[in-house]
Order: sequence, then C-alpha cells, then structure tokens
Amino acid sequence: MSKRVDPDFKRRLFKYGGSKEWNECFHCGNCTAVCPLTEQGFLFPRKSIRDIQMGLKDNLLSYTDPWLCYYCGECSETCPRNANPGELMMTLRRYLTSMYDITGLSRRFYTSKWWEFGYIAIIFVMIILAFLIFLPLRPDAAAMINDSGGVMINNLVAGMSPETFVRIIELGDWTMAVIVASLLIMNILHMFKVTILNDSSTKVPFVSYFSEFRQLFLHFLTQAKFSKCEDKKYWVGHFLLMTGYSIMFALIVAVLPKFQIEDIVPWYNWQRLLGYYATIGILFFLVNVAIGRIRKIDIKLRFSHSTDWLFIIMLGLTTISGILVHIFRITGLPVLTYYSYVAHMAILVPMVLVEVPFSKWSHLAYRPFAIYFTRLKKAAVARQFEPELAPTL
Amino acid sequence: MSEIPVTGVYIHHCINGSVDSVEIAEITSYASGLPGVVILGNSAVLPPVDKLYFTRLIREKRIKRLILAGDKPGEVKPFFADVMVRAGLNQHDLIVTSFHEFDLRRKTDTGLAKRLLNSAIMGTSVEQAGHFGEGGFIEDTLVIGGGIAGIQASLEIANSNHKVYLLERTGTIGGHMAMFDKTFPTLDCAACILTPKMVEIGQHPNIRLMTLCEVLNVTGNPGNFEVKILQKARRVDLSTCIGCGICSEKCPGKAASEFDNKTTLRKSIYIPFPQAVPNKYLIDPESCIYLKDGKCGTCVKVCPAGAVHLDETDKEITIRVGNIVVATGFQPFDARKDQRFGYGKFPNVVTSLEFERLVNASGPTGGNITLRTTDKKGNRIFTAEGKTPGSVALIHCIGSRDVNYHKYCSKVCCMYSLKLAHLIREKLPTAEISEYYIDIRAFGKGYEEFYERIREEGIHFIRGKTAKIEEKDGMLMLRSEDLINKKLVEQTVDMVILAVGLEPRDDARKLADMLGIPTDEEGWFTEGDYHIDQTGTIRGGIAVAGTCQGPRDIPDSVAQASAAAASVIRNILNRKIRLTARDQLVKMDKK
Repeated sequence: MSKRVDPDFKRRLFKYGGSKEWNECFHCGNCTAVCPLTEQGFLFPRKSIRDIQMGLKDNLLSYTDPWLCYYCGECSETCPRNANPGELMMTLRRYLTSMYDITGLSRRFYTSKWWEFGYIAIIFVMIILAFLIFLPLRPDAAAMINDSGGVMINNLVAGMSPETFVRIIELGDWTMAVIVASLLIMNILHMFKVTILNDSSTKVPFVSYFSEFRQLFLHFLTQAKFSKCEDKKYWVGHFLLMTGYSIMFALIVAVLPKFQIEDIVPWYNWQRLLGYYATIGILFFLVNVAIGRIRKIDIKLRFSHSTDWLFIIMLGLTTISGILVHIFRITGLPVLTYYSYVAHMAILVPMVLVEVPFSKWSHLAYRPFAIYFTRLKKAAVARQFEPELAPTL
Repeated sequence: MSEIPVTGVYIHHCINGSVDSVEIAEITSYASGLPGVVILGNSAVLPPVDKLYFTRLIREKRIKRLILAGDKPGEVKPFFADVMVRAGLNQHDLIVTSFHEFDLRRKTDTGLAKRLLNSAIMGTSVEQAGHFGEGGFIEDTLVIGGGIAGIQASLEIANSNHKVYLLERTGTIGGHMAMFDKTFPTLDCAACILTPKMVEIGQHPNIRLMTLCEVLNVTGNPGNFEVKILQKARRVDLSTCIGCGICSEKCPGKAASEFDNKTTLRKSIYIPFPQAVPNKYLIDPESCIYLKDGKCGTCVKVCPAGAVHLDETDKEITIRVGNIVVATGFQPFDARKDQRFGYGKFPNVVTSLEFERLVNASGPTGGNITLRTTDKKGNRIFTAEGKTPGSVALIHCIGSRDVNYHKYCSKVCCMYSLKLAHLIREKLPTAEISEYYIDIRAFGKGYEEFYERIREEGIHFIRGKTAKIEEKDGMLMLRSEDLINKKLVEQTVDMVILAVGLEPRDDARKLADMLGIPTDEEGWFTEGDYHIDQTGTIRGGIAVAGTCQGPRDIPDSVAQASAAAASVIRNILNRKIRLTARDQLVKMDKK
C-alpha cells in the first residue's frame, strides 16, 4: 500500500502538547535504549519522531507505541538534544485520543478551549436547572434530621418519596455510565480498525484474540507495566487514584441505594470506610500532581497542557464538593447539604462526560487495549517470520 | 569652532545571567557627563519598542549622530536605523560599538568600556590612537604547555635562533600525545614521532625548559610582558641527578600513575615514563611518606649523587618575555559525570586514554589487552596476568554532542575509536569488537579510507548511542538501538571503552583572565579570527596553538603551532608588535 506524506502534520501536532522541542531530534537512539519498557519491534519514542518528521500520519495511527509509554521521563532527562521525547509521547497520546474518537468532539476539545469550556458549561447549567426545576428543595427541609442528628439526605426534595429520589438519581447515573461506555466501545472499535485492520503488515492469528484476552484485564487492573518505570512513586499515586475512583464509581452507580442512605452509620461501616479510602486516594494524587505541575519538579510535570489542568481542577472540585456533602450531612445542616449535593452533581457529570470518552481519562480503556493489540501484533509477527519475537506469557 | 554636534547614546546590554558584568550604570553616567552627549536610554530600563518615542527624542534634542553601545548592540541596529530615517537623519551616522568584540565582559573591564565608548563618541576608531607597545622589545618568548603543540612551537622559534622559555605543569613534557600508542590514520607509533622532538627540546641551547611550573600573573604590554611563575618543588636536583633509579627501587610509597591514567601504580619518587624529558626523578608530595609523616628519607640515603633534597620548597620566578604562545591543551571528559555508563563502578569500563596505555607496549601490561585485576592491597589495576577479553565494545560520543555535557563534536573520538578497534583486532584476532556510534566523522586526508579499512577487518558497526551499561553475571550488558536494522540491541561484552570527548582544562578561564584573552562559552580560547587568524588573539603578542583553542587532532595542532611560531618570529624580526584594539584600550585606561 502506498503511504501518503502529510507535510503539515508536524505543525498540527504542536497544538496537542506543551513542548515543541522534539523536532531537535538527531536520531541517536538514546531514548529507545534507555527506556525500560521498549521491546523488540516497538521502538518508541524514536520511531514515532521519525514518522512525524516525515509526515507519515497513517503509520502513526497504526502504532500502539504511545500507549506503551508511561512517561517516567528517563528519555527526556538523558536526551542529548533536549528534544523531550517523553513529552512527545504524551502529545501523541492526546492526538491519538482525538483520532480514535469518531464523534470528532475530542479533537475540538483538545485544540479549542472554547469548545471544551462551552461543553462543560452547558452540562453544568443543565444539571443545575434539572435539580432546581424537577428536584427542588422542600420548604420544610430544615426539619429533616434523623435520630442520630444527621441529615436525611433522600428526604430533601419536595413532593417525592425517598425511594423515588434515589431511583431517579440511580437512573441518571446509569444513563451517564451507558453513554460513556458506548462512546468508549465505539472508539475502541475504531482504534482496533486503525491499529490492527488497517495495518497491512500484520495478519493476526485468530486464536491469539482469545489467548491474549486475559492481558486486557490484568493490565486494566494493575498497570503492571507502569510499575516497571524506575520511579515507583507515580505508579503508587496512580494506583491510589485508580482504585479510589473505581470504588467511588461503583458506589454511586452499582450500589447507590445502599450508599446514599438516610441513617448516619458508624464510621467503621463499609460505606464510610470505602468512601474515606477513595477520598484520601484521590486527594493524595491530586495534591501531589498539582504541586508538581506548579513547581515543575519532575520532567514529566514540566509541560502542562490546558486539559491537564482542567482535569485536576474538575476532579478537585468534585472531591471537595463531595467532602462538603458528607460534612454537612453528618453535622445536620439540611439546606447546605442539598446545595452542595447539587454542586457535586453539576461538576461530576460534565467531568465524567468530557474526560472519560473524549479526553484524559479515555486512557483507562486505550491503555489496556493497546497492550492487548500490541500482543496481537507480536503474535502476528511471530507467526509470519520471526519466532523470537513471540510474546512470552 | 562651531557648535559640537549632539551625539545620542543608547546602551543595549543583555547581562545573560552573568553577575560579573561591566557596570552599565557607571558607564551611562560617565557618558552623560561628556560634552554634547545625550543618553537615549538603556535596554534594561527602556526596551527599544517604541520607534515614535525615539524619533521624537532625536528631533527634540537635535541629535545628529547615534551610537549604539553594549554587549550586543547589533541586535537593535535595524530598529535604530529605521528611527534615524524617520527622524530625517542619515542612517549611516549610526555607529555600533560592541563591548563583546573587545572582550569587555567582567566588572574590572568597566574602565576599558568607558574608553571604548569615549573614542566612539570622539569619532576616532580605537586602532588609530597608537601603534606599538612600550618599554622596549624583549626577544624571548614564553610557551605555556609542553604538549605536542608547545614542543613544535618552541622548536620552530628556537631553531630560528631566538630564546624560548617552555613552561610545563607536570614533571615531563610530552603531554597527551606521549600517552598514545599509535596515531591515526597512518598507524605510526606516537612515541617514535614525539620522543625525538622531546629530546631535541631537552638539548636545545635556546630552550629553557621549566617543568612543574605554573603561571601566576601576567602584566605588561605586547613586546614586554612580565610573567610571574610558580616553580613547584621537584625535590630532586636536575643538574646532579643521574637518573639511575635506585631511589625509586627502594622507595616504599606508592600512588596511581598519572602517566598511565591510573591503570597501574608508581613509586612516590618516580620518573613519569622512561623517555621523559627531563629524564630525572621527581617526588610526589601527595604520597611521599617523609612529607606526610616526617620519617623515611630512604631516597636521600640511597642516592649515589646526593641529588635528593626533601626539604626543597616552591618558589616564585619572574621572567620578562616579548611574546607568549598558549598551548595548554585539553583534558579528557570525566566519564564519571555520566553515571549511566558505570565508569568508576564497573572495573572493565575504561576510557579511551586508559586503553591507550593498556594497549601500549610500554604500558602496565606490556601491550597485552587484559581485564582489570585487584592486587593484594585492593588496588584495581591492570597487569599482564589478567584475563584476556573475548569481546570489546567501543561507545562513541561520551560527553560530546550531548547538551547535558558538551554540545560540540570533539572531532577526534571517531578516528581514535577506529584506531583502537584496529589495535584490538591486531592483538586479539578472535575477539568480537563492536562500535556504537551516532555518526562516523572521518573528515580528513586518508581518514575515510582508514574507516573503510577498519570496516573490512570484521568489526561490527552499530548505529545508535548506547544508553546504559549494566552488570550481568560478571559481564557488561549494553543496551542500544540499532537504527539501521531497527532493532533493540542488548549485547554482553567483557570490556567497554568509552570514547570520551575533549574539554577545556578546568583552569583555562583563569589563565585567560591573566592573559586578558577571551574564551568561548565552553572555555576554549578564542582565536583572533575564525578564518584568517587562527593563531592570534585579541591581544598582540599572545598566540594560541593546539587543543586549547578547540578540539583538533595531532596534525592540525602541529600545523597551528608552526603558524603561531611564525607569528612570533615575525614580531621578533620586526622588533615591535602592533597593538590590537584591546591593547589600545588597556593603554588608554592607564593614562
């Protein structure tokens, strides 16, 4: 198949990242060799830089390489040209996210702040209006105190039984989850198309699709590859965030009726313990990353794209509003509980709707799938001509 | 005389993070005190952005000509040329006078900067103010550095029947070239070319060789310099020592040999290498037991000539010379700075200069290539009994072409690595030899042919910089990318040679300050003009030669040394030295 050269590709890529220095590269191969994660046949970051410099956009789309990099920054620190190959990998991940997205919204969010902020603002306003119109605060809310002095959170809405209110919220959560999941699934199918089907050099053996499938879950749950980077603290931080957020997501979607209850249970009950773990995990990550990005302590935190900050701010506001709901609830302040609850929802929903399918958080799906696809490619190569490249299980 | 035409002065000075810069405020106040001068501004206070403002100012003050001063005034020249045109003046009345051009960079140069600005305001160029140095002309020449460049320059001058002081910091002349085994591309024995020249130096009636000497201070002007020299104590009398070596045999003190790049040990009273000039012993005060503890003195007792004087002290000597040739050379890049290659940690990761000694027939192993061994006292040295490596890897560009260390190309590493590969192949015909390179730069006469020849000797060339070395089962594992075959390479070898780059000596800037000549940002001495004055400097009577001016190989160093000698002999034949602009400024400032 002939390959098309896009001479303007380089310039378009500048919009996706904070560093433009990767164009300094003189191809010594240091970055590839210093990386603890490179494998035979997947020579990132240098190969990607070559393709960008030559404008081979289609080649790049078929690579899973950027997702195999966890940005430890070793390559950028030792690069003899200060070309920041690590930051380029980050830039490429943003670019690929926007390319996998079939709606085209992701590209707009990454390249235009107006689109991104507009989208968030619309959802924010919609959620607030929905609460004020359909689920308003009941006039006698101040009396909604239970025996233990806490707020009866499900009784705060006018003209509605507690069961109905929880069901409505639960329904809303599920709707959000389904929308996000279906967008992600479509994007992953598109990713599958560009990385495996369009790559004419690989013919994946049919059985590999099944034999490699468990890798997907392994890497989804543990980020085992991330832990191979030399600096383990980022992996620990990420693991706290990941588990914290997953627990929180499960609590508010899968078991909402058991989580959002009228009674204030003692602190050692599972709802509260899980909630505290999740909050501490998320906060620990957020504070560290925010300080790191402001002070630029590490090479991986030196270049911040606007979307990085948006993610930190939105997740931070969500967490803070969630903590406020909890504090107001246990101290028995029904009105404040209601308004902080509305604020929590109005920040949480746009965050999930923008980050997970279109932006930074889509990596939760792309990374494990990229590892899965990488192993498929390896299996294909191994079958074709080079047995020593076969993946080891 | 009619009214003095009003001159505008604008100072464009970017300090660039340097704290020790000329005092701009002082220069500004000085200039504003001169008759008919109007200060338009200073880029630190008033950046040149508003053309209209400056145009108006020029019209209001009736300025007729404009002077741009500062360290890089050329940057704002187009801006002010446009301003001049807008103000209705001739843009050729714009004079650019750069401090940088005359190396006026330090705080102590403020006075000179004032002079420079003054002569620009007066409309005289600095060069026209005077011509020759004062205080009589001295025919003697000082050559600083006894490497191949210094030796060549000294011999050229001395052979034209003029007296030369050759200053050397260590105990022997010869420099780095004396350590090399072979030269590229002809594979001549380095010592066979160099040692006859060294002997000639030692015996020349016109050359006064001063070893263990360092320059302390340089004063005076071209044609008449006064140089203060620190002569370190050798503790062995040069005139009476017969070089029999009994002292060294009996000496109990030991230290790593500098000449062998610490690959082996030497005694505390020693001769750097058998062909050293002067071929006399010297005492290393660091390891001498008498000097540390006050008791020993074996060498004094055994010396048949009574030449050892353990209580000799350092002394200062002052000499007067007319010309100075600077040939202080380079130092190899310290591979410990780049931890990834494990130099200093892994015993069999060696630098190229260490390997030159190892492969040399007069080196620690008698020319056998061996792996490092540990002696009884725990010193990690090379001996002839060590194991022979089965595989050797050479890594290019250590400390060169890397913005983290030196961004320049050291010019000689590719060629000497090829040479070393050939020497290994010669001695170990079955060894596996790999060269990891970024680009092979074989740039000179016969060099490309040499590269072709080495390629045919069965040496693996892998394009890709090695990123790290790890120890694995007593072997060294290299990790690199093979760019040509698009593969990741993980090779295990017995020995790794790091092709370290050349860097300026740590104290090069100190010497440059003493001499009043500039260095570039890396620390290499700056030549008079890159193309047409490779040996001169911005000061008259001071020439540079060899690698102290930039990385270069032996033929280039020798050629440059001869050229420097020619400029010195020209000055001596003229019996006067034309002052450069900087010399003029120094002279004007003194008055």
